[in-house]
Amino acid sequence: MQVLDRPSVSAAAAAGGAEPTRRTWKVPREMLVVRGAQILLGLAWLGLWQLTADRKWLDPVLAKTPGQSWDYLVTAARSGELWTNTRYTMVAVLIAWILAGAIGVVVGVALGLLPRVERVLTPFLDAANAMPRIALAPLFIVALGINTSAKVALASTLVFFIVMSGARAGVRSTDAEWLRLSTVLGARKSQMFLKVLIPVATPAIFAALRLGLIYSLLGVVGSELISARNGLGQLVATYSATFRMEAVYAILLFLAVIAVVLNQVMSHAERWFLRWQPPVDR
Amino acid sequence: MTMISTAPRAARSADAGPAANPGRNAIEFEGVEVTYPAPQGGTRTVLSGIDLQIPAGEFTAIVGRSGCGKTTLLNMAAGLVDPAAGTVSVMGKAPRDARSQLGFMLARDALLPWRSALRNVEYGLELRGVSRAKRRTLGRQWLQAVHLEDAGHLWPWQLSQGMRQRVALARTWALDPDVLLMDEPFAALDVNTRMSVQREFLELWQREEHRTVIFVTHDLGEAVALADRIVLMGEGKILDDVQVDIPRPRELSTVSADPQYQAIYERLRERLH
Repeated sequence: MQVLDRPSVSAAAAAGGAEPTRRTWKVPREMLVVRGAQILLGLAWLGLWQLTADRKWLDPVLAKTPGQSWDYLVTAARSGELWTNTRYTMVAVLIAWILAGAIGVVVGVALGLLPRVERVLTPFLDAANAMPRIALAPLFIVALGINTSAKVALASTLVFFIVMSGARAGVRSTDAEWLRLSTVLGARKSQMFLKVLIPVATPAIFAALRLGLIYSLLGVVGSELISARNGLGQLVATYSATFRMEAVYAILLFLAVIAVVLNQVMSHAERWFLRWQPPVDR
Repeated sequence: MTMISTAPRAARSADAGPAANPGRNAIEFEGVEVTYPAPQGGTRTVLSGIDLQIPAGEFTAIVGRSGCGKTTLLNMAAGLVDPAAGTVSVMGKAPRDARSQLGFMLARDALLPWRSALRNVEYGLELRGVSRAKRRTLGRQWLQAVHLEDAGHLWPWQLSQGMRQRVALARTWALDPDVLLMDEPFAALDVNTRMSVQREFLELWQREEHRTVIFVTHDLGEAVALADRIVLMGEGKILDDVQVDIPRPRELSTVSADPQYQAIYERLRERLH
């Protein structure tokens, strides 16, 4: 039987990535196809954009070409306008994400473990989460001033609920058998928490943090659009008011690129932290 | 070997209470009754009038159909369920206080997916505060004992069912338990894998001074092949209590040819149906 079982060790190891010949060929090819298709799609979209401007399908005020937007981006990058404002926006995004993310994890885990408290709070949390957040922006600005705090406050209200629900669901996904085994092996409450409940919750927490980072960006930009002294959202608001649509388009696209980069960074971190998961679950 | 199979009979012969032979019985159930709240209110009796003494070093299999209360009996020994009446003691203590001497195995391996095979073996040791260096050494040693020394770095999903259950075996043995509580530990495995893991388990158990085992199963053949004694349960009561004197060490592939195996198997099968 031991002899019989030996090959399964190597077979299993291979599934984990120890079989070089076939995998190294397959993965890059798959990647090439995907990246190729993505580039084509991007070019087609740029072409369509150019076409709407050339053929005057849109109102002349709106119809700007990709080239004009690019020119703005280059000038703004040279003058430093783009970078200072990006920095202001990103600082607010990160503060809101870290702060509200941390609180969201703690509250979510606590609610997941205290069902009675959760039952009491659920209607209040649902009501708070249903509030149109952008409507709160003026309130925060009046209360905290036209500064980073106001942006952080608005974004935090979005991030908190996303991360909280993720953490709450995550901590609930514990397997009863793990708890049974750990109890009999003599796990104390604190050990149960650190060695079972928290690891169990990490995939859900990670998914929520990833989503929360994007929502943090949305919250900060939204707040800047309403009223701010700086930031990419404030640039969009200013250029919209002066009908410089090529600048507006350029900044919106730049924001989209930031979102993609943030998502990529998070998925890399996720892949490392959750390397114990089978690839289909990642 | 023969001494071990005769000892249980001596312990069970008289109405000897726990005080009469202290230290001889690893586990004792005295007039135990277990009730659960019924959905329509009131209570449902799961076990009643259970008197069972399990001497130290004995391998006791508890068999019965599903719902007969055999898992409840095991859970009581683990301190997971409290009796409504009667007393349970493990190594002369309340079950909860004896947990440091227990090993526990379930039908599902219950490996923690975020720990490598080696770290899963170390899990129980870690809970008990064994130092990191010592854990590593013991972990490696027990992985080797179940022939998985090359798989220590693999994640649970990278292991086959049989390998996973062998990691669970190693995790149990690494704790050096006096009492092993096993709840259908091989039930979830396919036939071939089950044979190989059973053999692995029997070898571990037979090669050293015997640990006390309570082994819950619904597989009569497995019970007769592995155990010194078989307790048959049905409807919350003990229906039969049979001694299996097939000599040890036993060989799994030939044990079913033993005339005693056939006789006990038939006897239990008839009582069960």
